[in-house]
Amino acid sequence: MRRPQRYHRAPMHRYPRWPLHVMLVAISFAMLLPFYWVLKTSLTGENIFVYPPSILPHHPQPFYYVDVWYFIPFARFLLNSVVVSVLAIVANVVFNAMAAYSLTKNFAGRGWTITLLLSCMMIPFQTTIVPAYLITGKLGLLNSYLGLALPTFSTIVCIFVYKASFDAVPNSLVDAARIDGLSEFRILLQIMLPLSTSAIATNVILAFIWSWNNFLWPLIVVRDQAMQTLPLGLSRFLSDHENTTGALYAFCIMVLAPGIALFLMAQKEFIRGLTSGATKG
Amino acid sequence: MLVWAFLLPSLAVFFLYRVLPLLWNVALSFQQFSLFGGTRWSGFDHYVEMWQDDVFWTSLWNTLIFLASAPIGILLALAVSLMVNADIRGRNIYRTIVFLSYPLMTVAVGIIWRWMYDEKVGLFNFLLRKLGLIDTPLAFLQSFELVLPSVLLANIWQIIGFYMIVLLAGLQNIPQNLYEAASIDGASRWQQFVRITLPMLRPALFLAFVIGIMTSITSFDLVYVMTQGGPSHSSELLVTYIYKAAFELSKLDYAAALTVVQFLLLVTLTWIGNRLSGGNAGAVERN
Repeated sequence: MRRPQRYHRAPMHRYPRWPLHVMLVAISFAMLLPFYWVLKTSLTGENIFVYPPSILPHHPQPFYYVDVWYFIPFARFLLNSVVVSVLAIVANVVFNAMAAYSLTKNFAGRGWTITLLLSCMMIPFQTTIVPAYLITGKLGLLNSYLGLALPTFSTIVCIFVYKASFDAVPNSLVDAARIDGLSEFRILLQIMLPLSTSAIATNVILAFIWSWNNFLWPLIVVRDQAMQTLPLGLSRFLSDHENTTGALYAFCIMVLAPGIALFLMAQKEFIRGLTSGATKG
Repeated sequence: MLVWAFLLPSLAVFFLYRVLPLLWNVALSFQQFSLFGGTRWSGFDHYVEMWQDDVFWTSLWNTLIFLASAPIGILLALAVSLMVNADIRGRNIYRTIVFLSYPLMTVAVGIIWRWMYDEKVGLFNFLLRKLGLIDTPLAFLQSFELVLPSVLLANIWQIIGFYMIVLLAGLQNIPQNLYEAASIDGASRWQQFVRITLPMLRPALFLAFVIGIMTSITSFDLVYVMTQGGPSHSSELLVTYIYKAAFELSKLDYAAALTVVQFLLLVTLTWIGNRLSGGNAGAVERN
């Protein structure tokens, strides 16, 4: 196949660009409007009770952001979310790397393993919830950090992200290391992984985002309020207080912020993870 | 041997939370299940029950409607990705803005949209009234007709950036010299789009379609937070009904039977998508 080329700059503009900008600004406006609206209300508490809403914020103050901490055990929810996310991130970075490294080898059953992984990709987690709940119960992990994180411990997409990166490492390098007597584990640790920092970053980001945002699984597994993660706390807050306070929207901003920040910092790695396997390139 | 030791943790997770649930789920759908022992086979009882269950038919129908978010979203994303693929200043900023909603926590997205749809103080009612399009405010999420399209719109808002990224990757893989050759031959812009861009984009389009089908069929968070499936099941999807059957009504076996139907629907649709794409969608390099 011919090597794909990136879209390079066209030699000249044959058409005026401003209509394109007008349309894109309109689209951007529509996409950003919900962000603006929730941020404004979280700072002012406006347009929860009063009609018509004001377009610009009046007297912004951080009161509602403080209020959240009194309404609910926010610190506890935050801790739970962080613990579960950290478990998922560490497990993904390690297990996916190990699995991907073995897939770079030739061994009997490799084809079957890849087929199995690709088939598992077509089983969304939402279609497994009933047995997954029973299995987690049999393992005695209901209502525990491990039980919350375990189903996300390895991700097929991320295995293939690692594999693509490992495949790019020159064979001569691996052979040299082997001649020097390095064990397979140390080849992975000391040669493959240091050369795959962006694959690691992709793993970290995707594992974090998926675990941080996960709602359905915690909803099923968690029994006590003390084990609730942030999305559960948020949904609980909604059903307890409806939208009677700006604190609800401050809460929203506080749970959205880490994801947005991480995404803006590492957009490239994030997108690579989503499009790997999407297109061969 | 070492190879399998390296694969073991990942394979164990996939076995425990993908393969085994899939099999157990099928078995469970033919059983009369009890958490306290005494589970026995019951044949097609649950499927018969499902056939007579109005809520099941409603949720199946709603799921099919909800699936429209994939083609609609992809069509919109195609337009956007063509725009941000053009050689214009600031296109990276536009891309980031469109994509920004995708990695967000869906629970929070649901809460934000729920309130923008509010009958009394919602932003949409305010804007529509300002523009003179409506006289009396609309209760978007309390209306039988409007609730599903309303949730659908929020769903598209969140996922459109993902489609854009997939299509953009596809666009960037089209060799530029095809366009050069075409314009030397005197092909118009529209002809280039129809004859080059669309055919070359086919794998990306159908990949987006397959993933879109998967995400919209499993779109639990948004519906659960925005409407809880209401009013009176008019926004109930299979996935929310499965959750309710299993964990609110404690009918795990019936929920398993519902899941089998949901999964068959998913398999059929992705199979169709895959066939249409030429069998390439979702293909990861296998070498």
